[in-house]
Amino acid sequence: MPRGNETDLRLTGWPKNVARLKTVAVDAALIVTAWLMVEFLVLAFSGRRGPTGLILTAEQILDLLHYAWAAAGSLVLATLWNLFYRAIGASPGRLIVRGAPEAERDRPWTQRISGWFVAVFIELTFFTGWMVTELDVVSFLTKFSKASDIIRGLLQPSSSVLHEGLVLLVQTVFLAFMATAFAIPIAFVLAFPSARNLTRGSFISRTAYTVMRTLMNFVRAVEPLVWALIFISWVGIGPFAGVLALWVHSVAALTKLYSEQIENIDTGPMDAITATGASTLQVLRYGVVPQVIPPFLSFTIYRWDINVRMSTIIGFVGGGGIGYILKPRVDLGEWGEVGTLVLLIAGTVWLMDILSARIRERIV
Amino acid sequence: MVYPGGVRALADVSFEVREGEFLTVLGLSGSGKSTLLRCINRLVTATEGRVLIFDEDITAAEGVRLRALRRSAAMIFQQFNLVRRHTVLTNVLAGSLGRAGLAGSLFLRFTPAEHERAMACLARVGMADRAGSRADALSGGQQQRVAIARALMQQPQLILADEPVASLDPALRHSVMRHIEALNREEGLTVLCSLHDLDLVTRYATRLVALRDGRLVWSGEPREFDPETYREIYGEDAETSSLAG
Repeated sequence: MPRGNETDLRLTGWPKNVARLKTVAVDAALIVTAWLMVEFLVLAFSGRRGPTGLILTAEQILDLLHYAWAAAGSLVLATLWNLFYRAIGASPGRLIVRGAPEAERDRPWTQRISGWFVAVFIELTFFTGWMVTELDVVSFLTKFSKASDIIRGLLQPSSSVLHEGLVLLVQTVFLAFMATAFAIPIAFVLAFPSARNLTRGSFISRTAYTVMRTLMNFVRAVEPLVWALIFISWVGIGPFAGVLALWVHSVAALTKLYSEQIENIDTGPMDAITATGASTLQVLRYGVVPQVIPPFLSFTIYRWDINVRMSTIIGFVGGGGIGYILKPRVDLGEWGEVGTLVLLIAGTVWLMDILSARIRERIV
Repeated sequence: MVYPGGVRALADVSFEVREGEFLTVLGLSGSGKSTLLRCINRLVTATEGRVLIFDEDITAAEGVRLRALRRSAAMIFQQFNLVRRHTVLTNVLAGSLGRAGLAGSLFLRFTPAEHERAMACLARVGMADRAGSRADALSGGQQQRVAIARALMQQPQLILADEPVASLDPALRHSVMRHIEALNREEGLTVLCSLHDLDLVTRYATRLVALRDGRLVWSGEPREFDPETYREIYGEDAETSSLAG
């Protein structure tokens, strides 16, 4: 089949108008972003300096009415670009939605208008990022001395918190373990409706996929720290709130990892089991599960590892574990004691890393 | 049969398979042989037309009915498609999933009678001594023999074999084909088998149908197969030396 037909083939099956709308929408989004970044840079360089100036200008730019004008203008520009793309070259949105048109396929980016647009866009993003994050190279290179006190303290750990630290370290490891263990069965079940290759069939399964993906992305997007605050007010300060917070986050993360493994399976055994007249559950049990068990185990151990590290931060807000005694010492500047606790955490993470690598090696 | 994305894999294919025959499907790669076989047990669903198995329309069947029809048509694949991490015995037992109780089968439990039958099926293909090995520890030829045992375990009336020996060492092809032939001759099973090696076709088939670009272009008996037909199926440029030789 000649390459030129591929993009057309992908399009058949859904209306051309949808593709057109998508193209214009992507372009409009790109243009409005570039537009606002240009404005931001112009304002930033027009004399005002420092954080206050930046915040003020940012407010002006994000003023709703102004934003609407920018969006409308971009929409017009995007529409024009897509109407006359033959004359001026395909837009980036067109490349994303439909692939490069025949005429531009073999040209280097410097000879495409979309190539230049993308290049300028990346530059703009970089410069805007520089301004927004208030990058200050001079401070970074000249003011190290203030931080050296902290580092000196960290390098001279004090033994006064060693006992308490060890006890809470054990709690941290168990906290992470319980959160992971409770997450496994739920993520295991949820992973199947979240896998694209198993949910192509009926309307119900496609809906289940969309709902699961959206829900899990939302849960995962909420930081474990926020979950911890929610559960602390629910069940009170202590390690159990930490377990719940890490559990919710682990369910979402493991569901995603598991479902990606399911999407990667060899469909051959599934076909073979289906052909015996087996039911859906049996096809999953024989055609899918045996293939995904080793990667599931390895991801689960990795997740436990992550949970140990995360539970430190969870402890900062009262979710139990070693973070609980770390936070006040950071606040008081007891750098020697902080050093002891950091060393304990680092040692545990290091040990778990070795352990999980060994176990994963064995399984796969 | 049109795949999502607009690829038309089969069109206007109409033929009948007689009970007890060894019907071979010929054609180039991409001519629609696999799609044809997969339409028959609904691994893919034909967008138009009907497939009747023993006078029952599988294209319209759903649920229990569909599974019962699939059970009567066992499939053998080019890539064997065994469950690699399961033992040989469990793989063969999986052939009875269409009948097995759901609860037990989800825990890989089968009745003693089924175990006995699975061992008998393995003995048929000479693999009884490897029943406890993991499937991925076997060679290609051995895996295909286990796959044949799994098909037999299914107690089918029809065997669908999709290029069953194409990924095997040439020296092993006849040993696997002979097992399929035995199902046809001794068990009286109807065999529908796609092949591309003409030596095998003339040796095993009792009747042939040929596909080209998704259309049925020829059907007949192996002895009617001549260089003229060969060019019709494989195109003018195809090398005819394997037939002449």
